[in-house]
Amino acid sequence: MSSRTSEGSVEVASVRDLPSVPRFAPFMTLYEREMKRFMKVIFQTIVSPLITATLYLLIFGVSLGGTIRLPSGDSYLAFLIPGLVMMSVLNNAFQNSSSSIVSGKFSGDLEDLRVVPLGKHQILWAMSIGGLTRGLIVGLITYVVGQIFYFALEGAVLPIAHPLWLGFFLVVGGLSFSKLGVPIAFWSRSFDQVSAVGAFILLPLIYLGGVFFSLENLHPFWKAISQFNPVLYFINGVRYGVLGTSDVDIGLSAGVSLAALILFHLVALRSLVTGNYQRW
Amino acid sequence: MLNDTPIRISSLVKDYGSLRAVSDVSFHLERGEIFGLLGPNGAGKTSIISTLVTLEAPTSGTVEIFGVDVTKNPKVTKSLTGFVPQELIHHGYFDVREILEFHSGYFGRRRNGDRIDYLLDRLSLAEHAHKKVKQLSGGMKRRLLIAKALVHEPKLLLLDEPTAGVDIELRSSLWKFVAELKGEGMSILLTTHYIQEAEELCDRVGILQGGQLKTIGRTRELIKGLTTREVALTLKPGASTIEHRCLIKVRDLPEGQGREMILRIPAQREVGELLSELNMDIAMIKDISVREGNLEDALRRVLEGV
Ligand SMILES: Nc1ncnc2c1ncn2[C@@H]1O[C@H](COP(=O)(O)OP(=O)(O)OP(=O)(O)O)[C@@H](O)[C@H]1O
Ligand SMILES: [Mg+2]
Repeated sequence: MSSRTSEGSVEVASVRDLPSVPRFAPFMTLYEREMKRFMKVIFQTIVSPLITATLYLLIFGVSLGGTIRLPSGDSYLAFLIPGLVMMSVLNNAFQNSSSSIVSGKFSGDLEDLRVVPLGKHQILWAMSIGGLTRGLIVGLITYVVGQIFYFALEGAVLPIAHPLWLGFFLVVGGLSFSKLGVPIAFWSRSFDQVSAVGAFILLPLIYLGGVFFSLENLHPFWKAISQFNPVLYFINGVRYGVLGTSDVDIGLSAGVSLAALILFHLVALRSLVTGNYQRW
Repeated sequence: MLNDTPIRISSLVKDYGSLRAVSDVSFHLERGEIFGLLGPNGAGKTSIISTLVTLEAPTSGTVEIFGVDVTKNPKVTKSLTGFVPQELIHHGYFDVREILEFHSGYFGRRRNGDRIDYLLDRLSLAEHAHKKVKQLSGGMKRRLLIAKALVHEPKLLLLDEPTAGVDIELRSSLWKFVAELKGEGMSILLTTHYIQEAEELCDRVGILQGGQLKTIGRTRELIKGLTTREVALTLKPGASTIEHRCLIKVRDLPEGQGREMILRIPAQREVGELLSELNMDIAMIKDISVREGNLEDALRRVLEGV
């Protein structure tokens, strides 16, 4: 930042003298864009996950699990609902950020983010809060549908044991997975690579993370393996929030979840610097 | 504080792997001028613009916008700059107005409806405001890119082939608009392969080839310095031609209409001077025509190295 005066001497300007660049409005704009984007394709983003969740509740919760009782005496549906809610949150949070970036690469407007005064922190937070928002909306819908099923079967509403813990795990899980979508989309070279990561890595992790079954029922070998699945801690955290009990110690769940959030955040920031914004 | 030099590029080098796309280029833009960066495909024009908007990092050298280094304070330089990329883009989900609203918001201007309306109107996009980008024609997409670049009222405008694919009428109205922006005090760097339009519009031009800046200067002066005038003298039948060092061609006109002498003189030289040197019988001359050199000739001369 040196400016040459007419005499040829050099005056050095300090950063404080530079015009200030707004920070909040650009961030809010990107967040709003993320929200509007998924509202435009509401069938894919909200209706179809809703149908999936309803089917799961119907098949596993009502038909197959109708006769199973938990040790606490509660129905299998009570076990399934928090798992399904968290599955919706994680899946949709991941989908939102990753498909936003991938479609931006496809249409070419991802490069816009490079030529406007948005920093990597603003981009990352706008995308992760956008993903979290969609995750929470679908999670809430799943929860409401689950409650309707529960009420029909049990004649009562499933109470929430620890609302604060529930909120904590939903937010940390949703943020983690929307942040995880960022590097995966940035480092992908095609649509197929992103969906492959979703189908062959994330979906198995989510299914094996104890959405449908308790860790206690697993063979000790698989049980030991599952300890390394971060999704297990998210799901058990949410289950603790709703039921007040879970397979995993709540402190451990909270610790692992926070660690995952920080790790995914750092990896995502890195990908925003090194990633490829160019059009496919 | 910002200084008064919209762009200052010093010893810029840009490599893509082992390919040197820009090789030790230095130049600056004066405030309020239109500067044309000309050169053949692959000369490095887009590469230079990409470093200005931080799409590419310089391999070495410095790039400053109003005295601010683009690698050190990119948010400041980006907020001062409007950029029209060479490649068309699509924006899957949104319509024209939404795209402009978002783009404006990224620069911190969230309620910018008046400016957006003005640009839609000026760029003949108002009736397409509710269309998705994929419903627009190529020329309309190009104009949308220009509207995006102007939505935050930048002080510096970078136009990478803004008229590619735009029809003649709209092209001239676009250039008129660009001249108007200059009148409002905007500094403009553009690239184009329409050399005649560059000649009319640009105060100065730089000619790039193989990543090197071959020539830079005021458009008029470059043309003067690099081109010649061709004087064609049509002689009446029966007149004899005269030897002269400027004579490059003599040809017989069809059907016994006489002969034509073509002479090439430096751009500064006057025709009257030539005629008195030739010392011909004026009665023998049927017609005189002069073809002035233009920017295209100058460009060709620089690129061919003759
Ligand atoms: N991202 C890239 N990776 C590798 N090489 C590149 C890249 N971008 C440009 N090049 C190469 O750099 C050189 C300069 O390209 P550039 O796009 O700057 O040319 P240009 O002057 O804009 O040409 P045109 O008139 O065709 O737009 C070319 O040889 C091109 O192949
Ligand atoms: Mg180019």
